[in-house]
Amino acid sequence: MEELSVHSREEKNVEEIARRFVPYGGRKKSPLGFYLAMDLSPIQKDLASKCYSAVADTCDDLMLKLASRGIRYQDEWPFAIHLLGHVFANDLNSARFLWKSIPLEIKESRPEIVAVWKIGQCLWTRDYAGVYDAIRGFDWSAEITAMVVAFSENYTKKMFQMLNSAYSTISVTDVAHFLGMSEDRAIDYALQHGWKLDSSCKMVIVKKPKTVTERKLDPSKLQRLTEYVFHLEH
Amino acid sequence: MESIEVLVAHIQGLSRSPDEVSHLHSLLKQSEDALRSHAARLAPFLSQLDPSIHTLGYLFLLEAYSSGSISGEEASGFLLTVVEFINSCSAEQIQLAPEKFISVCKSFKDQVMQLGVPMQGIAPLWMAVRKLQTSTEQLTTLHSDYLLLCLLAKCYKAGLSILDDDIFEVDHPRDHFLYCYYGGMINIGLKRFEKALACLHNVVTAPMTTLNAICVEAYKKYILVSLILNGQVPSFPKYTSSAAHRNLKNYTQPYVDLANFYASGKFSELEACIQTNQEKFLSDSNLGLVKQVLSSLYKRNIQRLTQTYLTLSLQDIANVAQLNNPKEAEMHVLQMIQDGEIFATINQKDGMVSFHEDPEQYKSCGMTEHIDFSIQRLMALSKKLSSLDDNLSCDPQYLSKVGKERQKFDFDEFDSVSHKFM
Repeated sequence: MEELSVHSREEKNVEEIARRFVPYGGRKKSPLGFYLAMDLSPIQKDLASKCYSAVADTCDDLMLKLASRGIRYQDEWPFAIHLLGHVFANDLNSARFLWKSIPLEIKESRPEIVAVWKIGQCLWTRDYAGVYDAIRGFDWSAEITAMVVAFSENYTKKMFQMLNSAYSTISVTDVAHFLGMSEDRAIDYALQHGWKLDSSCKMVIVKKPKTVTERKLDPSKLQRLTEYVFHLEH
Repeated sequence: MESIEVLVAHIQGLSRSPDEVSHLHSLLKQSEDALRSHAARLAPFLSQLDPSIHTLGYLFLLEAYSSGSISGEEASGFLLTVVEFINSCSAEQIQLAPEKFISVCKSFKDQVMQLGVPMQGIAPLWMAVRKLQTSTEQLTTLHSDYLLLCLLAKCYKAGLSILDDDIFEVDHPRDHFLYCYYGGMINIGLKRFEKALACLHNVVTAPMTTLNAICVEAYKKYILVSLILNGQVPSFPKYTSSAAHRNLKNYTQPYVDLANFYASGKFSELEACIQTNQEKFLSDSNLGLVKQVLSSLYKRNIQRLTQTYLTLSLQDIANVAQLNNPKEAEMHVLQMIQDGEIFATINQKDGMVSFHEDPEQYKSCGMTEHIDFSIQRLMALSKKLSSLDDNLSCDPQYLSKVGKERQKFDFDEFDSVSHKFM
C-alpha cells in the first residue's frame, strides 16, 4: 500500500511554527519529516502475516506516536481495522473508548467503521446471534475481509466452547441461534463434536471433551522447593 | 543577550565528558536568573543546540523559556520542541537536574491540557517517566501526570504499562496519593476491579495527619468497587490513620447508605436510595459506577443461591433474583458462567440448573507455575521488608525516639540503645 500523504491548511501552519525550532543540524534531518506522510507499514505487516491479535497494540502505539508529533491523523487513520483489532482481542473496553474518540464526521462518512462497531456492540450487550448478523450484514472491503473471516471462525469456536461448559442439554433452536447456523448445520456440527441428538424433543445432549491437564513434575521443582524451605527457616 | 551567547558557547564546548558536564552544571546554575529574565527570547538559541549531546544546557534554557508565558501561536511549536527534547535527551544528564526536567514536563502537560490535546502528551510523558526514574521501582512526580493524561484522552490501556510496575520508593507523599487514585480510576475504566481496589485501598490507608480531598474521593470509589467485587465494604484495617478512621464516613454519607441498602439485597430499596442521592452521585462523576453496583445485585443474589442449593429450577432463580421470566434467568446464569463467576450447568430439557464446586484441583502444571510465581514474588517482597526494617533500626530519628522512651524503664534492663541517643 503506498504511503498516504496528508496535506491541509492546518498542517502548513504548524509546519511554519515548527520551522522556528529546527534542531541542530536541521538541514540534514528533519524530525518532522514523516509528518507529511503517515507510515502505516507496521499495521500492514500484522495484517499480511495474519497476526490479528497483535493489530490492536500496533495501532495503539502508532497512534500515540503520531499524536505526539501533533499530526492530525484522524482523516487517514484505519479506524475500522483498529476497532476490529480490539474486538478480536476481546478488549471491548478499549473498543468502546476508541469508538467514543472517533470524530462524528468520520463516523458519518465511513460506514465500515460503524459496521465494525455494530459487532463490538453486540458482543458488549451479549447479543450472541446479533454478532453473526452484524458480520454478514455488511460488504467488507478487501483489506479487512480476511480479518473479519478469522474473527468469525474464532467466535463460532468460542461460542461452542461456552455451550459445552454451560449446558447439559440444550434445544436445537438455541444451538442454531448461538452458532449462527441453520438448524440442520448446527445439528451436524454438534454431532461431529460428539454430542447426541434426542430427536423426540429436539434437544441435544452435550458431551464435555476430556481435558488432559499436564501433571508431570520435573527436577527444577525440587530446587524451588528447597529454596522455599530455606527461606522459611531464615 | 551577550551573556546568553557566551553561555551557549560554553554549553557547546563543555558537553563531552562527565567532568566537563559538572563544570557546565555549576556555570548554568549561576546563570539561572539571567536566563529567566530573557525567557521570551531564548527560542532561537535552542536551535543552536543538539538535545541529545547538549542535554543539560538545553534543559536549562528550555526550563527558563517555559517558566515565562507562552503565547497561543507559540504553544504548538513549544509542544513539538519538548517532544523532540524528551525523545532525544540523555538520561544521565537529566539526572543531574531532575527538578528542572520535572518543571519542563509539567509546563508541557499544562499546555497540552490547555490546548485540549491530551493524547499528544501520552507518548512523550511515558518516555519522560522512564528517563527520570532511577529504577522501575521508583515513583516520580511525573507518574500521576502521565496517568492523568491517559484518563483525559481515554487511552486507558496506555496507563497499564506504568501501572503494572511495583513501586517501592516514594519521594513525595502527594505523588503517591494522586498516582494511586488515578491508577484506581484507570483500572475501573478497564474493569480490573481487583487491581482498582488495591490502588484505592492504598490511598485510604496511607499515613496522613489530616484528611485530604483525594482520600475522600478515593473512599467513595472504594465503597462502590468493593460492592461490585465482593458485595460488602470491609472495615478499616489496623494500620489506617486515625484521621481517616474518624472522619471518612462523615464526608461520604450517601455512599455508606448505599452500602447498607445493598446489604439488604432488595432491588427496589437500592433503586430508591440511588434516586434520592442521584444529584450527589452525578456531581461526583460516580453515577456510572453506581449503576454497575445496581446491576451487580442480581449476580450477588444468584451467587447466594449456590451456597444453599445443588439444583434449582430456572423459575425459582427468576423469582429469587427478581427477574421477569425463566429465560432472563437463563441468560443471567449463562453470563455468569461465561465470566467465571459461578460453576453450573443448565439443563434446558428440565429447566433446571445444577450448581457445582470449583473444578480446579490445583494439581495441573499451569497452576503449579502460577503458585511458584506468587511464592517467588512473596519471597522477594519479604527480603525487601527485612532490609527496610534493618535500615530503619539504624535511623537516628527512630533511635532517639526509642531512646527517650527507654528512660521510663529500669536501668538494669538490657540496654539496646546507646546512651548518646537518649
